[in-house]
Amino acid sequence: MKTPVTPRLVEHIPIPERPFWKTLRQQKVLLLMSVPFVIHVIIFKYVPIWGWTLAFQNYWPGKSFFDQVWVGFDNFKWLFRDPIFYQVLRNTLAMSLIQLVFGMVSSIVLALIINEVRLVFFKKAAQTISYLPHFISWVVAANLVRDALSTDGGIVNELLMKLHIIKEPIMFLGIPKLFWWIIGASHVWKEVGWGAIIYLAAIASVDPNLYEAAIIDGAGRLRRIWHITLPSIRPIIVIILIMNMGYLLSSGFEQQYLLQNGRVIDYARVFTIYELDYGIKMMRYSFATAVGIFRSVVSLVLVFGANYIAKRMGQERLL
Amino acid sequence: MKRKSLFLLLLLIFTVTATGALVSAQGTKVFTVFLSEALPDYPGSTIVGDIIERETGVKLQREYLVGDLETKVGLMIASGELPDLLTAAHFTSLFKDAGMLIPLNDLVEKHAPNIKRLYAKHWEQLKQEDGNVYWLPIQAIPYANDSPRYPELGFFINKKVLKEAGWPVIKTLDQYFELIENYMKKHPTINGEKTIGYLTLFDSWRNFATTNVPQHLMGYPNEGEFVPVLENGRYVVRQYHTSNTAKAYYKKLNEMYNKGVVDKETFVMNYDQYIEKLSSGRVLGTFNQYWQIQEAQEILLRDDPESIFVPFPVVLDEIVEEFQRDAPYIQATQGMAITTACKDPVGAIKFLDYLIREETQFLIQWGIKGVHYEVDENGHFYRTDEQNKMFLDPEWRRDVFGGPYFYNSFPNLRGIDENGNSFMPDRQPSMIYAASQPTEKEVMDAYGIKSFCELYNPPREKKYYPLWTITIPAGSPAHIEQTRMKDVLNAYVPRLVMSKPNNFEKVWADYVKAISPLMKEQIKVYQEQIDWRMENW
Repeated sequence: MKTPVTPRLVEHIPIPERPFWKTLRQQKVLLLMSVPFVIHVIIFKYVPIWGWTLAFQNYWPGKSFFDQVWVGFDNFKWLFRDPIFYQVLRNTLAMSLIQLVFGMVSSIVLALIINEVRLVFFKKAAQTISYLPHFISWVVAANLVRDALSTDGGIVNELLMKLHIIKEPIMFLGIPKLFWWIIGASHVWKEVGWGAIIYLAAIASVDPNLYEAAIIDGAGRLRRIWHITLPSIRPIIVIILIMNMGYLLSSGFEQQYLLQNGRVIDYARVFTIYELDYGIKMMRYSFATAVGIFRSVVSLVLVFGANYIAKRMGQERLL
Repeated sequence: MKRKSLFLLLLLIFTVTATGALVSAQGTKVFTVFLSEALPDYPGSTIVGDIIERETGVKLQREYLVGDLETKVGLMIASGELPDLLTAAHFTSLFKDAGMLIPLNDLVEKHAPNIKRLYAKHWEQLKQEDGNVYWLPIQAIPYANDSPRYPELGFFINKKVLKEAGWPVIKTLDQYFELIENYMKKHPTINGEKTIGYLTLFDSWRNFATTNVPQHLMGYPNEGEFVPVLENGRYVVRQYHTSNTAKAYYKKLNEMYNKGVVDKETFVMNYDQYIEKLSSGRVLGTFNQYWQIQEAQEILLRDDPESIFVPFPVVLDEIVEEFQRDAPYIQATQGMAITTACKDPVGAIKFLDYLIREETQFLIQWGIKGVHYEVDENGHFYRTDEQNKMFLDPEWRRDVFGGPYFYNSFPNLRGIDENGNSFMPDRQPSMIYAASQPTEKEVMDAYGIKSFCELYNPPREKKYYPLWTITIPAGSPAHIEQTRMKDVLNAYVPRLVMSKPNNFEKVWADYVKAISPLMKEQIKVYQEQIDWRMENW
């Protein structure tokens, strides 16, 4: 009987170095197939960067590029001197982090739970119901949230009153400190099922032999989740986390915009709303662009930072 | 994602404009037009539209507003892709600033005798700093002014309250809230649901329904954020946001809020919820401009006629004389414009000239004689009950009749013509009372009036009127200040009303401190413009 070759050994077989042109010729079909996507990325992701020049002008539409007034870093100075800026930064980061943490945790937990359900009909139904809200536009969803939280017969207040937890209806949307958490909770409600899909797919690809072996070793259900399922989908979790880091400063517009009101404005204004109110709505395109650049640069730093940390911790990484 | 949709939008605009301005095979001209109101697409054929198309040989390719006008205007200007004709509400001047509109003076002089004649009274007001006219305001009042059934604004009160109290005339804020409070005590629920004493609308830009009130309590009509006050023969722009009247108003709302008369939700509800509550018939009072509650009033007239709203010119103190009604004015700062993209400006101005003449206006607003209206022996137009009923159906009026497709966004005439007919059927003097519904007539009879406007004093004429049609230059220091001031109002007004009564003074002091430094630049711009208008109009 031959001794089986363990996979570990395969990894150590050195890949012979081939000249560049030979590789190119060999993979030309693959390369050709990717050309449209490269063009797409160049047109939609790189060409618009030219628009960043707006941030250093006092841009006025209708004038040609050479007739614009150049103002250097004035727009950035204005931004950093604006007292609202720090409030906006705080709100954006806080709401993004809440959404990121609770959104991911709830999606992972939901995926684990759905995965453990045996009844196929129930499994399918639960999954469908949980991801349906994802397809509702925020315009509709915000009105649902408003109605649910209403003091005038809203279901949340009615329920709490019936359960004698509260005596008077609480005006949830009118409490500034609560706004971040309402955003977080409604985000979880809307996106939990959708987010779980990718984790379910990852769980499905876990080798069933591992579970069988664990059962033989006497591992219970929770142990199997903890020692097999979670470690197996860890690379996916890390990659999604890194990718989401890039969205920390661009989180949300519709949700905050549609749920906010004057009472909570100090906690509701995020970068996108700030850009709209103090930029585009006032025809200050240059200022809006400056804010956009700030966001892009910080996002880039965050993504690379997260990637670096993942690398140092020996985890899967994006780049 | 955002960039992609932006691109698609640009593409759309491009294809729309690229196919525009073509002369089709049958010899009909096609003009593309962007209209800053939200209407469903033109159905293709309507009674009014077909006549206009036949008589002018002009076919319009319409693009109606979808979503936010500010964003749309920004996109159009930034991309430079323009339709032939456009209306853009109070953003119209931005197109002029970008050099995208053509001056109309010569065109009107040579090709548009009707425009010249009917806009003659307003012509000087329309001239920009360079002496050119770039747009035709949506409404011209060539002859005498007319009067609507409902005044422009007021403290509205539920008919049930008035009826039970024996039709009192309400003059002051205290009387108004006293009536509401008494009724609320007797009727804690209406139709099984909790009675709502008072609602004040605070949803995003519509929050002027709350913040504008102090000026009206002082007796002024709607001037906007500031009021020009006549001092030694000159109109001096003054602020009212920190006035004693404002303080008394917010204090009253605060008191009523803590008593449970003002709805707890009033500052967090959006416009849809507001209309929904108003049309449920259980709201006793609200302040607003009539157009903002019209939808609810129409629902009430149909479904719950005993709960309709009746307006009163409420002031803070009985000694204040009110002039809350609008003096006739046109919105000189906005209108329909011809863009530089238009290949046939002469054709376009001729089309507008055809639209504005009296015959066409009566067609658009009244319909066809003998079918949609009748004429009595004095030459006055009227509609029979059957004809009235036809026009009460908004969908028929829009999709089959088609008048609305040539109305709100196109230049049209208002007022009474030389024969004593109003261009607007709703405002035909003899019809205001006659065409009112029984429930409205009951109120009018009780107060001995023929129109709700008669509860108000006639408006006071002011040459510059109104202040709010002055546009502050985009991105200027005054503009930034204005946005900041609105932010302060947004943040502090709910606090003022919702704080505990013993905390009110402190919040008021904070509010005054926050808002006071945010008015100087705006007042400067408004003052300059008011002075200019007084001199040149």
